[in-house]
This record gives sequence, C-alpha cells and structure tokens, in this order.
Amino acid sequence: MARFNTPIDDIKYLNCEFLDRSLLKNSPLLSELNDDTTQAIFDEASKVAENVLFPLNRSGDEQGCSYNKGQVQTPDGFKQAYQQLTAAGWGNLSCKTEYGGQGLPHYLANAVDEMLIAGNMSFTIYLGLTIGAYHAIEQFASEQIKEQYLPAMVSGKWSGTMCLTEPHCGTDLGLIRSNAIADGAGAYKITGSKIFISAGEHDLSENIIHLVLARTPSAPAGIKGISLFLVPKFLLDKKSQLSQNNNVSCSGLEHKMGIKASATCAMQFDGATGYLIGDLHKGMQAMFVMMNSARIHVGIQGLALAHAAYSGALDYAKNRLQSRSISGSKYPELAADPLIVHPDIRRMLMTMKAYTEGARAFSSWLSFQLDVSQYCDDLIQRQQAHELVSLLTPVFKVFLTDMGELVSSLGIQIYGGHGYIRENGMEQYLRDARICQLYEGSNGIQALDLIGRKLPAHMGRYCRHFFHPLSAFIEDHKDNERLAAYIRPLAKSFTRLQNASLYIAQQGLTNPEQAASVASDYLKLFGLVVVAYMWAQMAQKIDTRQGDMAAEFYDAKLVTGLFYMQHLLPQTTALSASIMLGGDSVMALKESQF
Amino acid sequence: MNIETVAVIGAGVMGGGIAAQIANAGKKVYLLDIIPDGADQRNILSQRALTKILSSQPAALMHPRNAKHIVLGNLEDDFSKLAEADWIIEVVIERLEVKQALYPRIDAVRKPGSIVSSNTSTLALSALTAGMSDSFCEDFVISHFFNPPRYMRLIELVAGVKTSAETLTKISDFCEIQLGKSLIHCKDTPGFIANRIGAYWMQTAMLEAFRLGLSVEQADAICGPPMGIPKTGVFALMDLVGIDLMPQVLSSMVHALPANDAFQQQSNIPELIRTMIADGYTGRKGKGGFYRIDKSKGQKSKQSINLTSGCYADSQTAKLASLAPAIAKDLRQLLNHPDIGGQYACSVLLKVLSYSLSLVPEISDDINAIDRAMKLGYNWKYGPFELVDRLGVDWLIKKFEDQQLAVPVLLATAAGKTLYRTNEHSRQRLSLNGDYTDIVSKLGVLSLTDIKRQQHALLHNPSASVWDIGDGVLCLEFHSKMNAIDADILSLINASISLVSEHYKALVIYNEADNFSVGANIGLALFAANIAAWSHIEAMLESGQQTYQALKHAPFPVVGAPSGMALGGGCEVLLHCDAIQAHAESYIGLVEVGVGLIPAWGGCTELLSRWLSNPRCANGPMPAISKVFELIATAQVSHSAEGAKEQLFLAPSDGITMNRERLLFDAKHKALSLLAGYYPKESLSLTLPGATAKTALTLALSGFMQSGKATNYDAIVGEQLATVLSGDQVDISEPSCSNHLLKLEHNAFLNLIKQDKTLQRIEHMLETGKPLRN
Repeated sequence: MARFNTPIDDIKYLNCEFLDRSLLKNSPLLSELNDDTTQAIFDEASKVAENVLFPLNRSGDEQGCSYNKGQVQTPDGFKQAYQQLTAAGWGNLSCKTEYGGQGLPHYLANAVDEMLIAGNMSFTIYLGLTIGAYHAIEQFASEQIKEQYLPAMVSGKWSGTMCLTEPHCGTDLGLIRSNAIADGAGAYKITGSKIFISAGEHDLSENIIHLVLARTPSAPAGIKGISLFLVPKFLLDKKSQLSQNNNVSCSGLEHKMGIKASATCAMQFDGATGYLIGDLHKGMQAMFVMMNSARIHVGIQGLALAHAAYSGALDYAKNRLQSRSISGSKYPELAADPLIVHPDIRRMLMTMKAYTEGARAFSSWLSFQLDVSQYCDDLIQRQQAHELVSLLTPVFKVFLTDMGELVSSLGIQIYGGHGYIRENGMEQYLRDARICQLYEGSNGIQALDLIGRKLPAHMGRYCRHFFHPLSAFIEDHKDNERLAAYIRPLAKSFTRLQNASLYIAQQGLTNPEQAASVASDYLKLFGLVVVAYMWAQMAQKIDTRQGDMAAEFYDAKLVTGLFYMQHLLPQTTALSASIMLGGDSVMALKESQF
Repeated sequence: MNIETVAVIGAGVMGGGIAAQIANAGKKVYLLDIIPDGADQRNILSQRALTKILSSQPAALMHPRNAKHIVLGNLEDDFSKLAEADWIIEVVIERLEVKQALYPRIDAVRKPGSIVSSNTSTLALSALTAGMSDSFCEDFVISHFFNPPRYMRLIELVAGVKTSAETLTKISDFCEIQLGKSLIHCKDTPGFIANRIGAYWMQTAMLEAFRLGLSVEQADAICGPPMGIPKTGVFALMDLVGIDLMPQVLSSMVHALPANDAFQQQSNIPELIRTMIADGYTGRKGKGGFYRIDKSKGQKSKQSINLTSGCYADSQTAKLASLAPAIAKDLRQLLNHPDIGGQYACSVLLKVLSYSLSLVPEISDDINAIDRAMKLGYNWKYGPFELVDRLGVDWLIKKFEDQQLAVPVLLATAAGKTLYRTNEHSRQRLSLNGDYTDIVSKLGVLSLTDIKRQQHALLHNPSASVWDIGDGVLCLEFHSKMNAIDADILSLINASISLVSEHYKALVIYNEADNFSVGANIGLALFAANIAAWSHIEAMLESGQQTYQALKHAPFPVVGAPSGMALGGGCEVLLHCDAIQAHAESYIGLVEVGVGLIPAWGGCTELLSRWLSNPRCANGPMPAISKVFELIATAQVSHSAEGAKEQLFLAPSDGITMNRERLLFDAKHKALSLLAGYYPKESLSLTLPGATAKTALTLALSGFMQSGKATNYDAIVGEQLATVLSGDQVDISEPSCSNHLLKLEHNAFLNLIKQDKTLQRIEHMLETGKPLRN
C-alpha cells in the first residue's frame, strides 16, 4: 500500500520563513505564538495525520458508512479517532477562545488542516462542517444561541452541517422550496427535503446542529427571499440539556464515487423547530460568508490530496525497480534501476512537486491574508486584504482542486497498472479529489464569479491589491541576473494576464457571453500567474537569505521553481491565445447540431 | 426695424427672468414695476428683482456683467421710457382688469410699430385686446415664456386675428435668433399647448397614483424615464413648481374649458393635498412636499409622504417587477405588465394620449408643434404623438378597444399607418384628413437628427459616426455613453480626417446629446490602472495626443460645436479645433484634477499657448502661466459660452449661437467661411521660464494648503501641473516646442495615475458622480 508522509518541512518553511507576518506583528493573535510553538503544533499534527488518520483511510473507503432505519454508522475506528482528535482540540484551532477554541490564526490552522485532510479526507469532513457552521453562527446568530450552541460545537461534543441543496436545486439556490412558518413563540417550523448533506447523520457526536436554508411564506421570490435557520437534531431544554427529538431524520445515504467514509445524507425536516440566524430573508448573506471560507477549505482539500498522491508516488518511484536509466545503469548492484531515474517519471514527479509546493505557498499566503482581513489594526489594510481574498478565493478553489485531480491522476500513472488496483490506495486519491471540483460552487461557477463579480467590482479595485504588488515586485527585481530565470517568465505571463483581464473587462461590459465562454481559461491563466508569483518570491527570498532548513532544501526549492517557470507556466501562452480569440466558436452551433 | 430695446413690465420671477435673458442677448432692457404703497425707494421692486437675478441658482445671467443691460425703473417715473422700446412685454399679475387697464396707457406712449406682448398663461388674447385700437391689435401677441426663461427653450406664441405678419416675423426672429428660444404657434385656447396637456398629465398621474395606491417613489419611477419624462416624474415635479400653484391652475382651466372637456373629470384635488397646502407643505419652497429632506437625525435623509396616511418615512427606491430594466425600456411591455406599475403606466398614458389626440385640431393642427411644445416646455424626451408611434398606432387602437375606451378620431385615421414618416426628402406628419405634410425646418435650422433619418453614416462605430451635412462638410457625432471619449472615438476622428482630406472640404464636431462630452472614458483607464497595465495607459495617452494633433494640423477647417458640458477630454477636442461655434449654454472646462489627474491630451499645452499669446497677459510668461494654473488646478468650468470666452476656452473669434436648433447650421457656415486661404495651424513654440515658475506655483500651492483650500493630495496633483506649465527643465532663453510640453503632460499623467489617491478619486467619481477630496 502507498506510504504517506506529511509535508512537514515545507509547511515549517512556509510558515516560519516564507510568510511575511509583519502586518500582524502587533496583533494579540500572534503575541503568544513563536516559531517554536508553531513548529511543535505542526509536529504533533503531522503525527496525528500519519499515525491516527492515515491508518483509517483505506479501511474507511472500503467499509464506507452504513444506513439502518435512520441511523448512520461510520466506519470502524472513526469514533475513537473522533474522540481522540476533538479531545486534543484539533478540530477547533481557529475558533475563538471564549467558546473553548484555540484562537489560532488561519494560516496556521489551514496548514494543520492540509496535513489532517491528506491523512484522511473523509474523516476531516466531519470536523470541517462543524467549523463552517460555527463561523456562520458566531458571526450572525444572537448571543443566546451562541452561548447555547457554540461551546459544545467547539469541543466536538456536537457537530454541525450546512443544508443548502434540494433535489431540484443546487447551483441555483433561488429555487429552494423548504419552508419555514413562524410558530408564534419566536421559533419556526421547518419542512422540506435536503440532499447531499455531509455529516447530516452519524454516530460521532451527541447532537447535530443543522443550518438550513428555507423560505418563509411571504418571502420575495428567488434568492432574496431565503432565510437561514438553526435546526438541532435534539432540542434543548431550559437548562440547555438535550431533550426530545426534533423532527429531523435521515432518509438515506448517497452512493458516491469517493469520500465514501463521509456520510452524505438525504435529510427530511417535518415541521422541525428552527431558530432564525441573522435577518429574515438575508440567509444568503450568512451563506456567502460560510461559502467563502468553505471554498478556501475545499481548495486545501485539493492541495492535501495532491500531496498525498505525491507522497505515495514518490515512495513508489524510489523503491520500484524497473528498467535501466537511459544514460546508463545508476544502480548496477540492483536488478534494475528504481523508477525515479527515468526522465518521464521525473517529469511527472516534478510536475506534482512544483504544483503542490507552489499551491501550498499560495495557500499559506492567502490564509495569512484572511487573518489580516480579520485581525489587522490598520482598517485600510484589513479592507484591502478582504478584497484581495475575495478576488483570489475562486482562483484558489479552482486552481487547487483542478490540481488535486491532475496530480492524483499522475500518482496513479507513476504506479502504472498497480495504480489502478484498489488496495494500493492511489486510485482512492483521485476518486476523493474529484468531488472538490464539484461542491461548494462548481469550478465553472467559480470562473463566472471571478469574471462577473470579483474582476469588475469597483472598476477593478480588488485587482489592485494583487496586480500592483506583483508589478512592483517585477520592477524591483527585473535587473537581478540571478533571478532572471524566475522574473522574466513571471513578467511575460503577467503581461498575458493583464491583456486577458482588459479583454475580459471590455467584453464583460458589451458581450458577457463572450467573456463567460473563456472564463475558465482566464481563471486558469490567473492561477498559473499567482503560483508563479509565489515561486518567484520563494526564489527571491532564498536568494537574499537562507534560514534554518538544510541547504539541500533550498537548492531543491530553487530547482523546483525553475521547473515551474520552464514547464508549467508556459501553459499561459496557450491559454492567452484561447482567451483572446474569444468565444465565437464556443457558442456558434445550434443546439440541434450537437 | 430690428428690436434693440425691450421693456419688461412686471418685475416678478418671470419678468426678472425674461429681462435677464434679453440682457444675455446683449440688448438694453427696461425692467419696470409699480411703486408699492409706502415704499421709500421708488424702484424697490425692480431693484429686488435684479438682486434675485444676480443670486439665482441656476444663474439667470450668462455673465454677471450682462446686468449692465438691465435698466431699472418704476411705472410712474419711467413710463415714458416705453417710448424707446421696440418690444414691450407685459408680465403683470394674471388679472384681466389689471392688464386691460394697462394696455391703453402703453398704447399712448409706445412708438409706432413697436410690439406689445403679454406673458399670460391663462387669459385669452381676444379678451386682452377687447376694445383696443386696430393698430395696437396689429402689433400685439401673447408670448408665453417658461420658467426659468434662460434655460427653458419654449415660447408659445399666440397671434390675434388682427396681428400683422410683420409683427410675427419680427418677434419670431428676435426670440429665435437673439433669445435662442423655439417658438410654437398656438391657437387662442386655454393653457395653449404645453400647459393644457401638461396640467392634464400631472393631474392624471397624481390622481391615478392615489386611486391605484402607488407610493410617490413608485409613481415617479413609472411616470418618469420609462416614458421619456424627466426623473422628477410627477410628484417631485409638483414639489419643484409649488403644490399651491395647482389649485390656481386647475380653477382657471376648469373655468375656461367647456363642461364636456375631459380635463373636467381630472380636476379634483385630494384632501391630503388640500391639507398639505393649508399647513404650508407646498413643496421645495415650503416646509416640504411629497418629498422632504429630514435633518432631525443629525444627517440629511430624504423622506417621502405616504399618500394614504400623510405621514413621512424614509424614501425607498421604487421596487416593482414592471421596473425591471428589460420591461421599463420597452413601453409596450410596461403597459402590458400586470403589476400595479404596469396598470398605472397604462392608465395614465392611455388617458394622456387620448386627450392629446382629441385636441387636434382644437389647440393646433400640427402634431409636430404639439410634440415640440411638450418636449421644450416639459422636457419630455418624446411628445405624445411620438409616443403613439413608439407604441404603434394599431397596437394602441387595440389597447383602447380592449379597455373599452373610445378610439380618438386622429388615431382611427392613422390606422395601419404611423403619425410620422420619413421619405427620402423629408420627415412628414399626418394631418386629420389622413394626408402627410412635410415638416419644414426654418432657414438657419439644421437638425442632425433629421439628417440621420435620411442617410446612412459614412463612418460608424459603437461610439461615434460621421454624417454628410451638405456643401462638402461632414459632421462627426459622438454617441458613446455620456459621450465619453474612448478608443473608438479616437479612431473615428482619425478616420474622418482621412475621409475629409480626400473627398470633402471641412469637418464639424457636433452632437445633439445633452452634453457635448463629459470627458475621456476614465472607467477603462481606472481598470487598466488597477491591473497595473501601465503600457496600455501610455498607449491611450499617446493615441489621444496623436489624434488631437492630427485634428489640429488637418489640411482642412475643423469646427467644434459644443452644447452643454464639454469637460476634460471633451474640452481638449475643442482646444484643438480651428474654430468653435458654441451654443450659449456651453459649460467648458479642464476638470481632470477632480479625479487626481491633469489634462494630458494636449489640454495644458493648448490652453497655455492661448494665454501666452493673449495681449491681456503682457510682461513675460508668468501671468499667463499663473492664470492657466488657476483654471486647471481649481477645475474651473465656464457657466456659459460667454464665460468660456473670458477663460479662453473659446477664442475671441469663436462664435456663439443662442438657439440650440441653429447651432449645427452656424457651425457648418463657420467651417465654410474658413475655407478661403485655409492653412493648418503651425506647431507652437513657447518661451517658458522652467524652474523659477515652478517654484512660484508651488509656493502658491502651499498657500492654498495652509488656508485649507487644498488638501495634501491636491498639492501633489498641483505640483505635477506646475511641472508641466513651467516647462520643467527648460532654459528661458530657448523657446521650447509643443512636443516638449506634450511629453511633460504624458509624464505627469502617468505619475499621477499610479497613485492610490488618484485611483480612489476616479473610482469615487465613477460610482457617485461627485469628486472626492482626499
């Protein structure tokens, strides 16, 4: 079976050396957090991922969840692992201390998440949903509800869900039919069917707190008439103790391609008691807050699975003996050379490594911007970081999840035929990764969000926070010959991105269909440039000063970055051509011609 | 005999406004009124009127110095002055006996052949002139101005049976050419044309809103832009004109009109409005009206009255399914829409169109005259008969039938046809007998809208077109959003230069939008700046500079003909023309500092060279540089074409046309007049002081900053401007060429657009329409 190691060194490097944390240096958030503490947290998380979660990954996939008369059983070992992880606080790193969380920054929590997800994605979904629900309640609910529900959710005693999708509507939530009728006592009676509800029913926690989108009878039609309700599986009595069953039931489990150990439930609400979260008819507002952090989380899932596949493939490439090197035997004492000597295997490994490490830097940096947007003393910096995160969230979600699919597929390829065999574990990564491109707003929707909302917002103001620093970075380093191999390709691809952005902006005003036809290409071009910027910054920082990592580490970073610039970034040429030619042929055929 | 001296009797709001417009035309005008009982100052009323004229907003005078043409007096000491007047306008109180008592006195002193007119809006000419001499009647007309007289372009003219043709010609020419007004000939019927239909429309729109239960915001949103009516709609318009005026207008109409006139059914006044008037809620001039500004919560908030309860609450943006852009843009869809907005639109419009259709031939035989009166007098985008054509005659007939309403005769006559049609020679209107009659423009009136109906553009792209306006002259028309100058306009300027060079004689740059051009399209520039596409911005700068230089050096005359606003890049186009023929209502300026930029398509260079060659700026270059610095750094915009001449946005030889409808004709003739011996302008060479001038300007700037007139960032923008205008690193002994200045403009612009504060200013301007002082 494929081996698994966390990217612990890379994570330490990114967090302790790459990130410029000066914007938050005065924040209490970081005051008790020195590099030693940070590294200790990472070391512990790494052990949990490798030793607790990874061993349950294959078995969980094989066994899956089972359904019996409304009850859902998680695979063997999940319950113990859940108790172990929640007791140690691994589920609540970024939750506020007042509710029992650890109050740690996002950049740190997200790095931990990557390792845990890589160890066992299905398992972490139970933890992740609770955190999504936590954020919505924390930001929008009344004090009373927060006091009643958050401590138990933060501790993991209770878990959470998000109930959006209905059988007839997913992307277009304006069509939601679930209804909420005021019960006259300040609460509502919720009735309706929800599907695709992750962690909707399971045996890990004592209570399950559902956040449900529903419509009140007099609400305006469409997306503007939707409200958000908190609907617990068990109602609370006056002392906030669990009392009777609320009319919420699970009517079945979906049979899925991947993440089989994650319970994906069909839920039935039959006049269940619910409490309004936020303002009436403003449910989407709360939902958007949840979705934005959820989209970043899904991007990290893509990254984590890419890493898991790389970790397995690397081990295999080093140990599997097959054929001799094309330039002559490298290990004459062995029956054959290991796979890693072969250029095409190298091409695949380098592709996997350069994408994952570049994307991990993107993840670290964007997560830090999320912290700046919430905790920076300077309100202007905070606003700018918020706008930057808004702009880059769709890019991040799509780029990292597409990469998750590509890299996990390459992982199978390196294994050859053995990659196609279940017990080797490589094909599970591809199956698990595939969902990331679909949920929390499919990748096509993300591209539309980028060109339709984020790019044109305030005539491109959000863009300024990305394009100006990047432009200045190129300007500052363009004459540094040692960095030329990084800066020149970056500058060229940046120009392509600028031209494509102008084109999309102009088309968006006059001919939105034209712009939408090439939106996915544009997003990919954008993502490639962001990651190139990450690689160029890593190269520039290593060129200026090397820290505590081994010399070989820095050397490998520089070479991997070079590979990215030479073999991955050139895709921008093709994408740019495709974008600038517009969408005429995309839309020209009559439906009958298909 | 031309009209050189005018007398206005009655110094109220209208009398004062009319006198001011006559002064704007450069004619001497007596402004006379009675001496109130016990007044210690005998000219007190006309004196007060003049004070109002000088302080009115929007300004009644095109230039304060025009006040010198107004001679104040009173009806006792100065009555004999009427003997000097070629035209005596009576604007006294709307009471027949007062007017009838005045006319014999006027007739006794006036000189033979002088014209006498009344500005009455409610009294019949036949009644006014009853018992007057034939000679008086020959010289008498009603000339009904609209308020405010400087800005409203309509004069309704009513001739009596005895009025002489000479009188009509003389007053028409004067009003049209000198005062810049459009005359509409009306019959001697109550309310003439505009108020007859306008008052009916307001009453109907108001009563239907009450009947159907719309909020005032909803009513104004429906009875506004979707119908081509200004966004004040009906309720905000009533606030503007004064709610207390309504009962007066209504009672005069009710008394004057026959009992079977449809107006009679629309003439009641809701109780709420009576209460509002009684309590002093008469609109903007009173305690508030249907809308009011509430300051009780510390900041200003707009409130609206609830038509049922009479209580005020914060104004809401009108939300109706029928106001969705796709529906509100298509009048038929709006009228068919089942919601309350659609019902309201349908009910109001059917009534108003039915009434208008029924008034032919009672108020005029000419549907075009009626349409024009509504457009000029009420600022409607379409007259009622144009609205009929937009809806479709047959569609409307069916609508009337569906609603079981009588189909008006004129509409039935038009079945299967349109009320207007265009053949290859002219535009035609339908008459009651079913025949079409040519619509003939007067000599001196040239309409681009008409030309466009009859030909295809020679050149065209989404932002501009080129038309053949005859005699070898082409017209370049901007039609981008707000006529903002963009890459398409620049490319069409270049294309038209080639076209005229090869096949034509001259070019006029002109359009018939409200504003000539509000400036360069900074939206795209802002986006480009936000994504750091500096080379794209440089290309835009160079393209603009090259295009305007090509215009300036084109081998044929180029005449710019602005009306309304010509700002920033729009002003710079004009500065590169050989000559300008401007509408009197032209508001010209280089306003780039408002968005943290400086003019960089040659605006600084051209304005500076004008001031440097101005004989008023002697004693070296510094006075001229300081003046241009002031004009640009404070973003001054002329309040009229006359003001623009003083600021040298217009050259002394440039022409001014008072009448908007005559602008294109005059501009074309200006261009033709430049043909003989035409040489393109030479490149300039300027002597500039460089560093010393920059120091002086920077010093002035720090003064502004200390006195709080300029922000820190204003000073940074000002410093860039100072760099350009001083010539920067030049030696005063060596003249520098305009290319040097253009390069400086380019660099300064590029420096500024990289600044966050400039980007904030541009964004704020685009999103709010207001400048940001950061």
